[in-house]
Amino acid sequence: MRKPDVKIVLLGDMNVGKTSLLHRYMERRFQETVSTVGGAFYLKQWRSYNISIWDTAGREQFHGLGSMYCRGAAAIILTYDVNHLQSLTELEDRFLSLTDTANTDCLFAIVGNKIDLIDEVGVKDGAKDLNDPGKTISNCDSARATKRVCLDDAMALYKKILKYRMLDEKEVPAAEKMCFETSAKTGYNVDHVFETLFDMMVPIILRQRAEGPSQTVDITNYKPAKQTQSRCCV
Amino acid sequence: MMNIKAFRLVSAIERELLMGDKDHISIECIECCGKNLYVGTNECFIHHFLLEENMSPNGKVTFSATKQRHKYLGFKKPVNELKAASALNRLLVLCDNTIALVNMMNLEPIPSGARIKGAVTFALNENPVSGDPFCVEVCIISVKRRTIQMFMVYEDRVQIVKEVSTPEQPFAVAVDGHFLCLALTTQYIILNYNTGASQDLFPYCSEERQPIVKRIGRQEFLLAGPGGLGMFATVDGISQRAPVHWSENVIGAAICFPYVIALDDEFITVHSMLDQQQKQTLPFKEGHILQDFEGRVIVATSKGVYILVPLPLERQIQDLLASRRVEEALVLAKGARRNIPKEKFQVMYRRILQQAGFIQFAQLQFLEAKELFRSGQLDVRELISLYPFLLPTTSSFTRSHPPLHEYADLNQLTQGDQEKMTKCKRFLMSYLKEVRSTEVANGYKEDIDTALLKLYAEADHESLLDLLVTENSCLLTDSVAWLEKHKKYFALGLLYHYNGQDAAAVQLWVNIVNGEIHDSTRSDLYEYIVDFLTYCLDQELVWKYAEWVLQKSEEVGVQIFTRRPLEEHQKDIFNPDDIINCLKKYPKSIIKYLEHLVVDRRVQKEEYHTHLAILYLEKVLQQKPSANGNCAEVTETQAKLRNLLQKSDLYRVHCLIDKIQGTSLHMESAILHGKLEEHDRALHILVHELKDFSAAKDYCLWSSQSKDPPYRQRLFHMLLSVYLKPGPSDCDLVPAAVDLLNHHATEFDAAQVLQLVPDTWSVQLLAPFLTRAVRESLHTKRVTQAALGLAKAENLLYKHDKIKLKGSPVRLSDKKLCQMCQSPFCEPVFVRYPNGGVVHTHCAANRHMNPNSSSPGNRT
Ligand SMILES: Nc1nc2c(ncn2[C@@H]2O[C@H](COP(=O)(O)OP(=O)(O)OP(=O)(O)O)[C@@H](O)[C@H]2O)c(=O)[nH]1
Ligand SMILES: [Mg+2]
Repeated sequence: MRKPDVKIVLLGDMNVGKTSLLHRYMERRFQETVSTVGGAFYLKQWRSYNISIWDTAGREQFHGLGSMYCRGAAAIILTYDVNHLQSLTELEDRFLSLTDTANTDCLFAIVGNKIDLIDEVGVKDGAKDLNDPGKTISNCDSARATKRVCLDDAMALYKKILKYRMLDEKEVPAAEKMCFETSAKTGYNVDHVFETLFDMMVPIILRQRAEGPSQTVDITNYKPAKQTQSRCCV
Repeated sequence: MMNIKAFRLVSAIERELLMGDKDHISIECIECCGKNLYVGTNECFIHHFLLEENMSPNGKVTFSATKQRHKYLGFKKPVNELKAASALNRLLVLCDNTIALVNMMNLEPIPSGARIKGAVTFALNENPVSGDPFCVEVCIISVKRRTIQMFMVYEDRVQIVKEVSTPEQPFAVAVDGHFLCLALTTQYIILNYNTGASQDLFPYCSEERQPIVKRIGRQEFLLAGPGGLGMFATVDGISQRAPVHWSENVIGAAICFPYVIALDDEFITVHSMLDQQQKQTLPFKEGHILQDFEGRVIVATSKGVYILVPLPLERQIQDLLASRRVEEALVLAKGARRNIPKEKFQVMYRRILQQAGFIQFAQLQFLEAKELFRSGQLDVRELISLYPFLLPTTSSFTRSHPPLHEYADLNQLTQGDQEKMTKCKRFLMSYLKEVRSTEVANGYKEDIDTALLKLYAEADHESLLDLLVTENSCLLTDSVAWLEKHKKYFALGLLYHYNGQDAAAVQLWVNIVNGEIHDSTRSDLYEYIVDFLTYCLDQELVWKYAEWVLQKSEEVGVQIFTRRPLEEHQKDIFNPDDIINCLKKYPKSIIKYLEHLVVDRRVQKEEYHTHLAILYLEKVLQQKPSANGNCAEVTETQAKLRNLLQKSDLYRVHCLIDKIQGTSLHMESAILHGKLEEHDRALHILVHELKDFSAAKDYCLWSSQSKDPPYRQRLFHMLLSVYLKPGPSDCDLVPAAVDLLNHHATEFDAAQVLQLVPDTWSVQLLAPFLTRAVRESLHTKRVTQAALGLAKAENLLYKHDKIKLKGSPVRLSDKKLCQMCQSPFCEPVFVRYPNGGVVHTHCAANRHMNPNSSSPGNRT
């Protein structure tokens, strides 16, 4: 088996489309899925790197596995359904704590999936508005049924995550860069999400490779030692 | 889920052998070590069997067990667990919370009575840390709450090495090195008993469902997870493989690479660790033990013991391929890499790749097929042989046995579907084209190229010609027959040519041009043949078809002689006289050929020049039979004639003068006279017969072209005289004379001219001539003065230098040192550089450099 260089983990509530996103990216197709059991694993050869991508199960039953899957992750994709605000809320309430086991410099991306549904409804509603202004009530209904989650909400969550992880906003990619809206169905933006992350992970991979096979070199211990030394010299 | 037959369930111990007719006896635990099979019962007995593996005549594995002995341990308790430590010849027996050591062979307790007390369950460390081969490391879950203990067990003693307490009550344990994998009440953890560090894996309620903790390899464990998952976890607390999906009530798990086997109350299920998919389900009721022992998987109910016999991997792979499950077959084959010797694996894997390639091929998945053929290093002839008639009749190829696929040929594979057939052929074309220049083609070049030729010819593909005009290995006999069959006569000619049979090639092409056979490949085939003969080295062949090409077209045909490669002329391969002889019947050709000799090749031979001049002349005379004096327009031939007469000095002038006499070709006549240095006569003709003054002036110019200036002056004066001589009646010549003087003042000697011109001419008339003449004379004077001045100045400079050099004497004394070697001069000889430096003669010879021009700091 090829040894992966880094790990990416997809997290998010059931039915938001994690498996579909990954499938779209890896197989270039959209097809019906079954709710994931436990987790699934892909190895992506990207440039000269092997990247393992873990698809987790959103079902409550498998929630406990999340921490283990996130252990040592270099990037985590938090996925929600743009048509269900609840799925975004769940990310904060239920999934964020699972990422405690990820690497300290773990990258976070927030992905709102199923954007294609919004467009359909949006166009339909717009047309209705124009042609049939009398039916405002039904418009309201459909608008309520598909309450769109704004990208701003996702960006707000991103900033909360940084606080939670005690990361300096200036030292990590900006929210604008790390919040995406996608459609696994049409393929919209899907490659972009993965490839943006891959690009950002290259320095991490290179650093890991430089550190060699023992991945537990403690840099924090090493640095101060050097500082004292130089202080002696002065 | 598609199934595969990975295992067969085979009975290991007959029920009677174990318990006879005593129905209350049930199996509690099993251990298998080599051929030794141990069974522990609920009635506190250990049974020892010897297990023989047999191969039945139909190739199936069966087992027979022979009972060795049994031993009653003396309690009213069941035997809970058995573990063999073969290096110590000991069997570890857990019964009544105590682990006792008994002799593996006679089942007698060891004399020292060493034992471990207070154990609920135990596990052996399969990756021991001590390094002592006569010691096994045992980990127990203690009867003490939340306590784990590590022991070293020797032949006749045990020693506790560590006790650790756990955050919750442990239920199951497995060990790898210093790492314990533990099922606690609410979760699984990894615990390093050496450092005490622990790592949470995932939550699991061990009180609700029986946990499974199974070491499956170095630093990796298999655990029962929520929802019937089989979870993989490493000692680092991460998962490297996706989970497998069991049923909720799984009771045991075992590994037989690359499969994970699980047992529940109704089935044995087999999942692949490579793709996590379920591969096989075997109904098995009331099973309660599933364990693997050094690769042997044993299942047991309370009454019977069975062995899961894995089918040979190759068989499994072949089964997968037979049902076209290429992807899975390849995954399985790749997974087997580490279990099979490298050489054997490579042969096997290559064959599987090839088979897989044919499966893809049959489904017209050409891209995939190609990749598989490539990586499987397929003998291309396997592929070619699928296509009827493509392999050369002489090919010694036979398909590999056993066959790589089930198809007799392409017809069977496509079931006569023409469209599919075409696609397959197109694929083969591109495939062969790609591989023919790679190492894949080594040794089979003839088969490949011949097949390719056949495909191209049949499909009327343009690459056929490319193939034949570049280096190729097409077999002649096969290809000839095929090209004839498909009426590719032009291509056939190329093939003949490639095989050195130019005569056959040309004959074939000539037949096409003559319409005897039909092939429209080239509309310019005649030109092609001419070109071919032009470069053909075979003289005989050229002569054979010379008449034919000339008859077709005199102008084009003659190219076979006129365009021959340069280096041939030097070798005199074709004798020009033979060629001229041959061309006699073809007036256009012969002119072209002579032009080629005279103009292009500049052959300096009188005959050719005269011959050509005469041919030109005849043609010109032919063209204007009514020789009128109008020479306003000059035909192309006439221009050529004049040019030849002017430029060449080789032709026989008199002969031509004879021929030209009495015709109106005055200009030509003038040129001929000029050749005889009869300039007077020539100019006379030009001035008086032709009345072409500009021609007369031109005559003066070109006739004197390669001569010295006085010669030219003489001609101009001669012309002037012709103009000034009182001619027969007309005084028109005066303007011509004036014109000549005024426009070509520099060609004349002014003084002489002034004596010649009649006194009646006004100065005005000759003003331009005079001005030019005076200016010229002045100019000459000034230039001469300037040159004189410059020469004087130069002379002065030299004088100056000379004086300077003489000016300062060089004094040599004992104190004077050589600038180069810094030692004194001993002889009165020295070298002085222009800048004044003085050195020894030998120093100067050693170093051809001015001592001061190299920076001193660098050199000393
Ligand atoms: N319209 C639309 N449907 C989608 C999209 N992505 C996924 N779906 C559908 O949403 C459903 C759930 O998709 P999955 O990919 O299985 O969701 P999941 O996040 O993997 O769910 P779990 O495995 O249970 O955690 C499926 O019916 C998909 O077809 C999308 O972009 N647009
Ligand atoms: Mg899923």
